[in-house]
Amino acid sequence: CSIVMAQTTIRGKVTDNTGQILPGVTVKANGTPNAVVTDATGNYSIKVPPNATLTFSFIGFATQNVQVGSQEILNVTLTITQNNLNEVVVVGYGTQKKSVVTGAISGVKGTDLDSQPVTRIEQSLQGRTSGLTIAASSGQPGSASTVRLRGFTSFGTGKNDPLWVVDGVVIDAGGIGYINQGDIESIEVLKDAASAAIYGTRAAAGVILVTTKKGKSGNLSINYSGYYGLQEPAKRLDLLNGTQYATLRNSALVAAGKAAPYANPALFGAGTDWQSLVFNNSAPKQNHEFSISGGSEKATFFTSFAYSDINGIVATDISKWNRANIRLNATYKPAKWISFGENLGYSHSVNSGVGETNREYGGVLSSAINLDPLTPAIITDPAVAATYRADAVRDPQGRPYGISTAVLQEMKNPLAYIQTRLGNYGWDHNIVANAFSDIEPIKGLKLHTSLGTKMAFYGGDTFTPVAFFNTSTAPSRSSLSRSITYVINWNIENILSYTRNFGKHNVTLLAGEGEYKDGNARGTTTTYLDIPATTFDQASFRFNTLAANRTTSGSDGTDHRINSLFSRVQYNYDEKYLATALIRRDGSSRFGSNNRFGYFPSASVGWVPTLESFFPKNNVVNFLKIRGSYGITGNDGIGDFAFVPTIGSGGQRNYTFGSTNTEVINIGYSPNAPANPDLKWEQTSQTDIGFDATLFQNFTLTVDVYKKKTTGILGNPPIPAYTGYGSFAQNISDMENKGIEFELGYRKQLGNFNLGVNGNASFFKNKVTKLVAGQTYIDDNSATFQTLGNITRTYINQPYNQYYGYKSAGIFQSQDEVNNYKSTNGTILQPNAKPGDTKFANLNGDNIIDANDKTILGNPNPTMSYGLTINLSYKAFDFIAFGSGVGGAKIFQGLRRLDISAANYQTKYLNAWSPTNTSATLPRIVDGDPNQNYSKFTDLYLESGNYFRLRSVQFGYSFPRSMISKIGMKKLRVYVLSENLFTITKYSGYDPELGVSNDAGGGAVYGIDRGAYPQARSFLVGLNVGF
Amino acid sequence: CKNELDVNPQERVTLDNYYKTQADAFAALVSVYDRFGFQAGGLYDKIAIMDAACDDHLAGGGGPSDINDLQVMSTYTLNSNVGPESYLWSKGYSGIYRANVLLSKIDAIPMDAAIKSRYIAETKTLRAIFYFDLVRFFKNIPLITGTIDPSQMFDVVQAPPADVYTLIIKDLTDAIPVLPATVPAATEGGRITKGAAQALLGKVYLQQQKWPEAAAQFAIVNGTTPGQANSTYGYKLLPKYADLWNPLNKFNSESILEIVHSANSQGGWGDAGASEGNLLDIITGPRGYSQLNSTAPDYYSGYSFLVFTPEFASFIHNDPRNFPTVANLDSLQNIAKSAKYTPGYNNTGFFLNKFIAHVANKTSVGTNYDLNFPQDNYEIRLADTYLLEAEALMKAGQSGVGSRAYQLFNAVRARVGLNPVELNMDNLMKERRLELAGEGQRWLDLVRWGIAGQVLQKRGFITGRNEIFPIPQSELNNTKLQQNKEWGGTL
Repeated sequence: CSIVMAQTTIRGKVTDNTGQILPGVTVKANGTPNAVVTDATGNYSIKVPPNATLTFSFIGFATQNVQVGSQEILNVTLTITQNNLNEVVVVGYGTQKKSVVTGAISGVKGTDLDSQPVTRIEQSLQGRTSGLTIAASSGQPGSASTVRLRGFTSFGTGKNDPLWVVDGVVIDAGGIGYINQGDIESIEVLKDAASAAIYGTRAAAGVILVTTKKGKSGNLSINYSGYYGLQEPAKRLDLLNGTQYATLRNSALVAAGKAAPYANPALFGAGTDWQSLVFNNSAPKQNHEFSISGGSEKATFFTSFAYSDINGIVATDISKWNRANIRLNATYKPAKWISFGENLGYSHSVNSGVGETNREYGGVLSSAINLDPLTPAIITDPAVAATYRADAVRDPQGRPYGISTAVLQEMKNPLAYIQTRLGNYGWDHNIVANAFSDIEPIKGLKLHTSLGTKMAFYGGDTFTPVAFFNTSTAPSRSSLSRSITYVINWNIENILSYTRNFGKHNVTLLAGEGEYKDGNARGTTTTYLDIPATTFDQASFRFNTLAANRTTSGSDGTDHRINSLFSRVQYNYDEKYLATALIRRDGSSRFGSNNRFGYFPSASVGWVPTLESFFPKNNVVNFLKIRGSYGITGNDGIGDFAFVPTIGSGGQRNYTFGSTNTEVINIGYSPNAPANPDLKWEQTSQTDIGFDATLFQNFTLTVDVYKKKTTGILGNPPIPAYTGYGSFAQNISDMENKGIEFELGYRKQLGNFNLGVNGNASFFKNKVTKLVAGQTYIDDNSATFQTLGNITRTYINQPYNQYYGYKSAGIFQSQDEVNNYKSTNGTILQPNAKPGDTKFANLNGDNIIDANDKTILGNPNPTMSYGLTINLSYKAFDFIAFGSGVGGAKIFQGLRRLDISAANYQTKYLNAWSPTNTSATLPRIVDGDPNQNYSKFTDLYLESGNYFRLRSVQFGYSFPRSMISKIGMKKLRVYVLSENLFTITKYSGYDPELGVSNDAGGGAVYGIDRGAYPQARSFLVGLNVGF
Repeated sequence: CKNELDVNPQERVTLDNYYKTQADAFAALVSVYDRFGFQAGGLYDKIAIMDAACDDHLAGGGGPSDINDLQVMSTYTLNSNVGPESYLWSKGYSGIYRANVLLSKIDAIPMDAAIKSRYIAETKTLRAIFYFDLVRFFKNIPLITGTIDPSQMFDVVQAPPADVYTLIIKDLTDAIPVLPATVPAATEGGRITKGAAQALLGKVYLQQQKWPEAAAQFAIVNGTTPGQANSTYGYKLLPKYADLWNPLNKFNSESILEIVHSANSQGGWGDAGASEGNLLDIITGPRGYSQLNSTAPDYYSGYSFLVFTPEFASFIHNDPRNFPTVANLDSLQNIAKSAKYTPGYNNTGFFLNKFIAHVANKTSVGTNYDLNFPQDNYEIRLADTYLLEAEALMKAGQSGVGSRAYQLFNAVRARVGLNPVELNMDNLMKERRLELAGEGQRWLDLVRWGIAGQVLQKRGFITGRNEIFPIPQSELNNTKLQQNKEWGGTL
């Protein structure tokens, strides 16, 4: 007989933790065959035996078991498991379900970036994903950051910048600043060669894919978000005040056997605080974004308008930036088999800059640090003012700005400098757009055609009046310059793909063709000298100066063209066994016929053991995917025409014949360096092994280990000068990077309380494995510092470009110590040293301290980077904290001018060695520095560059829907936010985050501080509104 | 599809398409001349090195490592890695390369035959100049007369100095018959003349202690009657010594070979060495100079290099050439109170007046004043060749009162109003030191006379070592070159 158990019917609604209804959730009564699925309104109804347990499961959400009691209504809220495995990620030329991706791809969603007040995309990525090391090069609004993916890939600057692709259009690293953050749907970072190889020759330093927002069919969605706030410098240096300065200068001069210049230092008091004159404690920053999107079955659109306006915290009057953006994305689907559309982004920015942002030769901040505190900022005493020259710069009241008589050269009164640059500005217009069509004649077969362009127009107007800053810096002719450049790059791609499932075999085939052109910038600069204007506003090209005082120069870029063929096979069996293989062939105009074409293959495989029947069911490992990949990518980032023997002209070939006023400067021509027709691609091969896992339902973990090796790094190795010709490009060096990356996520819901934590950490190890035979080091791309010469060097079997200088062996405490510091043959090594001077280590053991005693002093490049995001919400309140940091880096603290003995000091120099302070770590300060305590590069210039920075902390409140829906709103959220609230670091300068910048000198060297413009700390209030 | 990748090199003229016309040949010749006048991007030239090295000057500048190549020269702490030797070496060899390229290509260029042979003669003279400097500075050097294929660039070996001298003499004797006796100064001033090549040949012979041969060449240059105009070339001592240092007085009758500079090239800081302006002018100027009243010279504020030693200042103090040679800034500042300046490193207050830039000569083109002063430098001038001929004749036995040697020697003194004195080695050495002070001759003279060690010992000069420069270490890496034994090598 059969026993019929009493069954009851349970009803309920399933929602997610934001209250959204969830259709399609499987509801199963355990121990019975009964199972149902929630309907379109999220409701279900199931018959269950008494005391049954219901299991609610839905892909992307944590499975929930609920014991049924006596109730008939059971509403359930499901929690999203992190990194929704069902979600789709953008891979090169397509998309793929995350659970079957076999490459190492990290992503950031646009929603994670909402309300983060950054204005450049690099900053959006900073600290968000593993593998990326990002450092701002300057705190000046609108400045680019340095982006390195998995350490260094090559030598030099440009070749280490990843390739940016926005909606399929290739953008150079400098141009990516055009994009408005609010328009970003997602960013994917293709880290391993297997993922990136489909971008072939430009992919060696990694590829970053940016997808902009598209409209969705359905309701019209209207959104506004904006913020406004103030910024301030996060830190000030402790510099000597007037009395301290005069005291220290007196003792330095007396130590040098000279007279003390300041009879009574106490009279000077605090003196001038130059820092406070250039810093702004309330520099406004604001951003507004407005978007409308929507669509129907046949068409969708996304339109946005955004405006950002930021004033800098240093010399605000000449440090401003604003940008306006418009985006028009649309798709049309007139028939089932065809769709077409366009993505168009336009931006226009206007900026004025302080000039050099990390440079000791005249940067505003550098002047503020180095100027003596005894010089008044403004001369208020008419008697003193009368002694100033007529062309000294004056404030609007006619009072001259103080001119230091002690600190000269490029160091200018920053107020005077600001006064002369008022009004100067730069501008740009960027249009990045593509038009595309997708044709699907039979199911699964798609032809995608895209025509993309990146157009940029940029320039600026600069006026330099006649001014007397000091006897060394006194432009005596006014000049007005205008420069205009335009660039039009384009690319065309045709891609054919076919997707089909044969039972459990899922296959996607892809073949494509592309043509790309960039590099054809064309520009002109016109300069008029001696125009009768004293300010930018008066200056105009309408002034008719002498023809001889009008100069124009033009510039022409060189086309860089690439054409490509590529194909890919993606296969999986039941989403359990995964494989991808691809190959790309690129031809580049940068190489000679011997090596014009390069082939870039890659293969990757994956296995999902948790889907195997033999995998034990458990609550520890919910999902596991193991991946492995190998691939080859290329780099053609060298100059053009290195493979053709050419004749060159230029200043290094010209010569003058004839008398004064009748002379002719003749233009000379001679061969350039010999050609190298065998020049070929730099190749980077990379192996990556990793896994993605979901653990204990709430944790996600991704780990990747990789080894990448770049061979044939292009360089111009030193050749004997007796040949008479210069060095020519060759494929010479090899470099290796190893690393491990972790991304860990956790998400938990406890009633109304939600917690989310995301962390990532990356560790890099870099080593140069090959240089020209017989060479143990190269000085290519070395950083230099004032009179110290090169301060970095690349040694074989060592990391790229490390600090290189003298090792200090302490401080001589007595004349006896000086006399006893001898070489092996008995000579005194530093006969002219005095007690208090630095003892330089005689590392090579010979009888002289010289350049051969220099050694590696540290690594400027971080060896680890990490980031941490915490999301908390309780009912309508939310809290987000996000921070990131780096480790293993050393900073060169070069804030003081070495060649200006009267330059001001930081207060730590008050503790320099003196006969009464013999335990000091800093050597004695003596005018002229005869022992070169400070004018030889020793470890005393290096400081730890490790830091952790709380990049943003945000607290928000969302008004309940019940309240706002009455006025038609879907969303109303207000928040307060602070950027860079604190930075944990031991670094003594303004800011330990020091990217590579042109000002900071060549060489792709991080961490050189010459008085860099620091990042601001801000306090903002913001608003998000949705209809 | 493949052609799509062929980008037109545009301004990059390919080697195969060049050296086709007379204009191409001229541009190639200009590039050889450029190396003759080539100044280091680090703001110095051969004269600055020679001055810093000799007993009359200190390096000066803004600090103990400002233009470090001059500092280590002055203190004799240079070595094969640090010092001005790389500049001297590469200046010479890049000039030789350009000369060799032109000599190998010019034969095939269809052009006026007379012009072609003149270009060849100029090129050979310039090549001789490069080699003469290199062999004096580095002794054992590679002798290259063609272009080196990159595949063989590490196989080059050094030649005996005698072979180098043989080539120098051959190049000059080939060139002399072809070179013009004079050139129109307005348009061609600065180009090599017959007299310049002969004066050079004289110096080459003198260096080899071939006294009669040297004297013979100098005699042609100096003319039959010392002190009077040379009837062939028109050379004549300027009546006023100070006029030699007027930057506008180019190609004057005393000038035999000049390095030409111009105020008009708009040289900039991006590549200071590429400026056609004279960098000596800016580096020798006093720092932080300002004129307090118009009695003070209108010096342009400079970088205070190559100050005279107090010893030299007192040596020249009572000589008529003192004022044109030495600018006494302390006197201007403290006694006349007509100017102010900021003392630099090694400051003595005595500046090299022959070169200091003047505001009046500031360029009117562009705004890069510092790097664009128009003054020329004398590579060879007549007072020099007078004294050299006198020296050669004296070495050959002639020095008596009334002899040609005596007349030449005293013509130089007479020009500045000094009474004749006996011609002997001691007086001749004093005269050269006074007459040619700061012009880069002193150090070469001391070495030639064999007394450099004695005079410069206090500066760190080591006899048997510092008479030549170390071959740059970068030239020894991977090559077959060997360091000279003076610098610890094997040659």
